[in-house]
Amino acid sequence: MIEIFTRAIAYSGGIALAAAGITLIYMATGTFNFAHASKVAWGFYIVYAMMSLLGGSPYYYVIPAALFSAFLGFVTYFFVNRYLLKRKADMVTLMMSTLGVDLIFFAFLNVFADYLTEVYKLSARYFVMELKDPIIMRMGATEIRAVPVVSFISVILVTIGIYLFMTRTNFGIAMRTTIENPELAQVLGINPEKIYLAAWLLGGGMAGLSGAFLSLTISGYPSVGMTILVTLFAGSIVGGLDSIIASILGGFLIGMVEQLGTYSLSVALGGWICAYRPIIPMVAMVITLLFFPRGLATIDWKKVLGKLGVKI
Amino acid sequence: MGIEDIFANPLLLNILINFAVGLIVTISLNLEVGFADIPQFGRVLTVLMGALVAGGITGRIVASIYGKPSGVEYANHLINYKLVDELSRLLAQSPTLSITMLVLTLIIAAILGGIVGYLCSYPALRLEEAYLGITLLAFGDVLQLVVWNYDPIAGGTEGVMIPDVFRWIGTGPVRFVGATFIILGIALLVFAYAERIARSPFGRSLKAMRDAPLAAEVYGKDIVALRARVLIIGGALAAMGGALWALYTGSFKAVSYSRLTWTFWPWAYMMLGGTGNNVGMLVGVLVFSIVRTLIYTYKDLIGSVIPINPNWLEYMLVGLVIIAISLFRPQGLLPEKPVFALPRKKIEKIRKAVLGENIEESEAKES
Repeated sequence: MIEIFTRAIAYSGGIALAAAGITLIYMATGTFNFAHASKVAWGFYIVYAMMSLLGGSPYYYVIPAALFSAFLGFVTYFFVNRYLLKRKADMVTLMMSTLGVDLIFFAFLNVFADYLTEVYKLSARYFVMELKDPIIMRMGATEIRAVPVVSFISVILVTIGIYLFMTRTNFGIAMRTTIENPELAQVLGINPEKIYLAAWLLGGGMAGLSGAFLSLTISGYPSVGMTILVTLFAGSIVGGLDSIIASILGGFLIGMVEQLGTYSLSVALGGWICAYRPIIPMVAMVITLLFFPRGLATIDWKKVLGKLGVKI
Repeated sequence: MGIEDIFANPLLLNILINFAVGLIVTISLNLEVGFADIPQFGRVLTVLMGALVAGGITGRIVASIYGKPSGVEYANHLINYKLVDELSRLLAQSPTLSITMLVLTLIIAAILGGIVGYLCSYPALRLEEAYLGITLLAFGDVLQLVVWNYDPIAGGTEGVMIPDVFRWIGTGPVRFVGATFIILGIALLVFAYAERIARSPFGRSLKAMRDAPLAAEVYGKDIVALRARVLIIGGALAAMGGALWALYTGSFKAVSYSRLTWTFWPWAYMMLGGTGNNVGMLVGVLVFSIVRTLIYTYKDLIGSVIPINPNWLEYMLVGLVIIAISLFRPQGLLPEKPVFALPRKKIEKIRKAVLGENIEESEAKES
């Protein structure tokens, strides 16, 4: 039971980080980023490849993974998104252009995996790294590995970091201004291109971080990003695309629902339900959206509590 | 050399069949995206529904006609391949039944696809762009996952074989040539139907709704009904495309109906051709079918020149095309043009009849 819970926390932390990246990029540039799938998958592969070739703890390579995915974010912005934003392209064009970018990153990831397989004889097309994660605690028969703790702490640090960045630094305030009203921000002398670039870098970095933590939780293969993409979207959307903090919570919630929901359903109904695991976050997302079409962030909690008779 | 020998060339045949099925699916996507501005990122949902009809229902009907097992055991892969082989041989002797089954499959697929499309109209009315797109995308993934894991419908991971409704045409390549031409004919009918919609009051209402929903409502257009109707039509057409593909290949496996192949690629075809323009779909699908088939056919040759697996080359190419279109030609190769309700000649004739002798005068005034 503890094992399932810690696993769920590690997984949810990863989903929350990636979902926050999607929301950050969406808020700043209005682009709903399909390329996040490959950025997360590249996070998996950077950790895997560097650890296999250079040795050592997987945690040494978390930062390189984040940096590489931030670089991919930069590439997406610099070569594609920048021009579309300048042209004020509509949302579907922005979305589809990131799909094109995603296909290219995905193709290169496959080439990279083939290269690792052929040249270094690694089984790079499918790998499990859970056992490389150091054990930090034993509780009777259950071993607790480091990734749940690291992932959870990272999520909290990122949340606090984003909060402080957005409310206490000049750059963060400039970012919020640009998100609220790009024209007015420009009048005040804020360069929106810097803000967009920062969003792509930060969002990409979070995707890489997410991939690094997820690689110690679930098995890795080139299309892993495409597989969990819907879960990432679900996390970002359930929280609501209007707030980064909300999407971190949304992502965490979706991850927990997926892991613990599958576990409790499998206890109640039998193991066959495990095959349908990816459906659970999607169903959770659809149900949430049918009641709150713009995500959980838009719920007016005062009103809800007022209805329940609680006074604040 | 007969005509079937020319078309039996696998390269040409592959291009034609990819074109035909791609055209049906892309036209249905264009109706929803290009005409009605619904971000349909779940095209695979109804395509899979149609293929599922071919895989799970057609075979069962044929089996029950011939008094063979048609219950849950039909989808058992140990029984299925022997059974279907037998059914295909029986069907080959009866062209009437084969054609009836083809038509029946298309009808059931269209009805079920339409129902699924109608169900999608519920979120489509409540949710905004990105939220809706992702919800539709999730629907498609959910159905794929269920069909993939749930054996009794269509064999789950093992998939099922489908009794061949085209074998009465002939054996070997003749069957494939015949089937391709039948499907191509259906695709052209679908194209004609979509063109008819474009020129009908319904099509013009859709475009009015797309360009200015509020104004359309002011003019008495029912947005709810319009969106529901276009989702029903789009769903039905896409399901027919899926069913035809499954019947042509003679087998069904949920894994081959992925969101990449049946949602994102049709999106790329549509964007290349020119969103909102049916004729553009012909061009977009044709260009992509040729390129994809060539890459697929000359895989080994390409592999010997470039040291990477040509599969990934295909992804890069599709990705580059999508990026290039969105950067340099967002309106596509053939941009949308205003559609005349009547042929131009007729309009001129009416104009002449109304303005009578003054036509030259009024033209002079205009210029």
